[in-house]
Amino acid sequence: MQARYADGRAAVFADVEISLTPDKLFIRHGERTIDWDYADLARSDDNNGYVVLRQKRKPDTGERLMFGNWYDDELKAVAPHLMKPLAQGVEGRLTVGALVTLAWSLAGAFLIGIPYAAGPMARAMPEKYRTQIADISWTQVNNFTAQCDDADEATQILNDVAYRIMERSSVPERDEIWITIADAGFPNAFALPDNSIIVTDELIGMAEQPDELVGVLAHEIAHIEHNHIMKNVIRQIGAGIFFDVVFGGAGAGQAIAIASVNLAGLRYSRGDESDADSRGMDYLDAAGISTAGIATMFDRFEAYAEEEGAGDIPTILSSHPASRQRAIAARARAREGLAPSMTEREWRIVQQACGGADTLDQEETPQAAPR
Amino acid sequence: MTAEAAPGQSFAHSGKFFNVLGLALKNAGLTLITLTMYRFWARTSMRRRLWSRTWVMGDPLEYTGRAGELFRGFLISLPCFFLPAIFVFYIAPVALEAVWAGWLTFGFYVFSVPLVAAARYWMRRYQLSRTRWRGIKLGLAGSAWSFAAASWGWWVLQLLSLGWYTPAARINRARMMWENTRFGDQPFHFETPPGESPQRRMWWPFAFGWIGTAIGFFASYLSAGILAAVLTTSGMIDAAPNSSIVSAGVFLLGTALTVISYFIAFAPYRAAAMNRIAAQIVLDGARFKLRAKTLSLLFYQSLGWIFLIFSLGLLSPVAGFLQVRYVLNRLELIDTPRFAEIGQSVLADSDAGESLGDAFDLDMGVGVI
Ligand SMILES: [Zn+2]
Repeated sequence: MQARYADGRAAVFADVEISLTPDKLFIRHGERTIDWDYADLARSDDNNGYVVLRQKRKPDTGERLMFGNWYDDELKAVAPHLMKPLAQGVEGRLTVGALVTLAWSLAGAFLIGIPYAAGPMARAMPEKYRTQIADISWTQVNNFTAQCDDADEATQILNDVAYRIMERSSVPERDEIWITIADAGFPNAFALPDNSIIVTDELIGMAEQPDELVGVLAHEIAHIEHNHIMKNVIRQIGAGIFFDVVFGGAGAGQAIAIASVNLAGLRYSRGDESDADSRGMDYLDAAGISTAGIATMFDRFEAYAEEEGAGDIPTILSSHPASRQRAIAARARAREGLAPSMTEREWRIVQQACGGADTLDQEETPQAAPR
Repeated sequence: MTAEAAPGQSFAHSGKFFNVLGLALKNAGLTLITLTMYRFWARTSMRRRLWSRTWVMGDPLEYTGRAGELFRGFLISLPCFFLPAIFVFYIAPVALEAVWAGWLTFGFYVFSVPLVAAARYWMRRYQLSRTRWRGIKLGLAGSAWSFAAASWGWWVLQLLSLGWYTPAARINRARMMWENTRFGDQPFHFETPPGESPQRRMWWPFAFGWIGTAIGFFASYLSAGILAAVLTTSGMIDAAPNSSIVSAGVFLLGTALTVISYFIAFAPYRAAAMNRIAAQIVLDGARFKLRAKTLSLLFYQSLGWIFLIFSLGLLSPVAGFLQVRYVLNRLELIDTPRFAEIGQSVLADSDAGESLGDAFDLDMGVGVI
């Protein structure tokens, strides 16, 4: 049988005569005869129409034997393993299985590990780092809100009401929490790592009764008391690091991996939301404020979400237990005959902060919204 | 019964589109279910496929790299590249004063310019050292860091000249790469014929691209703005002309059109640069000749980009294949090197894989040869 042989010492193929005997492959190269064991051989042609054989030994001497695939039947008869994908360097099922297992175990360890670690890490976070993170959050907030210069009195009223509530429930952070009213084109309320709470004028405009707004404040205070904000920051930093390191490369693969983790992340922050809901209502109960207000607010959020589409949902309900469920839970706890949480005069002042809310129907979108 | 190609066809690529697409799809699927961990195996099998269908004087190239090597390179790059990156991007903004964190990020970006160049060099060294023809190994000598330093200097000149130094920089980089490339014990050379500029026939296409892109830039934003004005005033879009959604739309459309006009305006330059570089490569006195044509190259590159974009990058090897096949089928070798005199390479193997090439996502899953 005709074949071509390269000895690995010069870039030429020589015409040689080969014979495929049952135990060995013989190559007659001029005067010389070379014998190869089939078990030592691998292919490096990837089915390009030829068979290119090399010896698996290291280092690779560069010796090659090449012949057309018309000898496939003869080769198969003496060395069937050279016809399998494995001989071409294609990885076996075992490798693929191991990779799948490795990838999903890593992802699983992350999904379970980081949320568990987030609590203790949030508590251990030095004050300096917390301040630094708060600065970054404030920069982001300032990007999509404006300060109001006419809201001093309204701000004081909101903080007085909040303090009264926190005192009744002995919230440890009550002397550090400060509520700010910001001018923005969308309704929103959120807490920052430095224990600030931001309420936008549009959210105030959304409420028709003071109890509705105070219910939202109570929810945000509960987030602070239970350290949810730092936990969330740590979860997000952890996710960022994990994906940058492990899942480099392909865009779509990375996107899918991120999506799967965000789903799980959502589940954990949903737990935080329910927690803040119920703790917030505890405050309201203790302070003698009806939870009917926050129930109404949840209804408004739902109507707003339906009207504006998912992109515009205020962050207070962005990772919700569905607003309807939250409204039902709040309504179930509501008590009748309680006094409103602000006087009529106070409520009017609060409503007029930042020149009062604009109409809710404008086409503004929040650029970024920390949770 | 020999496999010699017909004379005059010293290079050929016999890859079939659907064969490559099939492998790319299989690799994409496995990459997804392994949360991208399979990418090293995907890259290796794709190279094996493309190399083995590259015929030089009738004999195929051979890719001998192993996925395990790439995976090990990735593990090596974890502490050297990713830990500093994590510090700069995640820890420093929290732990350091804002000013220092800002400077650190800036420094990281400045340093990453030469680092990307070095990564390219290492990657090429790895790929060449895993490439054989007639059993003889290719290789890349020289130092990645001197390439990185020189490359950085050329990059600064490109910036200072508003891009006009680009053709010279491109030739300089090619010269440094090819002067260090080996086939066995035989070095390649990069030789400009006496009395000719190394960038001959590259300047006019470059000027065409530069001016065309500048005009395209203004025309793109202008037409996007006019389109938005027409649509909003005629009431076909229910939004105020100055609302943020409309200006975002104008920006996106304008940017997309600018990118497209850049891609088209520089097509003659891309073909000219490839041809000019090939013309200066010499192996044992034998010269190369590439006949890339603007329109056909633009066609295959556009096709590649369409695959790349619509598969969200998962089918990028198909784009790489189209370009590799295009080049090889138009490449010729004038004269024949004395192959019987060319012996086995004595360069040490690269064993760090392509670690940083993976970190910077450099090669579209195919190779940069
Ligand atoms: Zn909340």
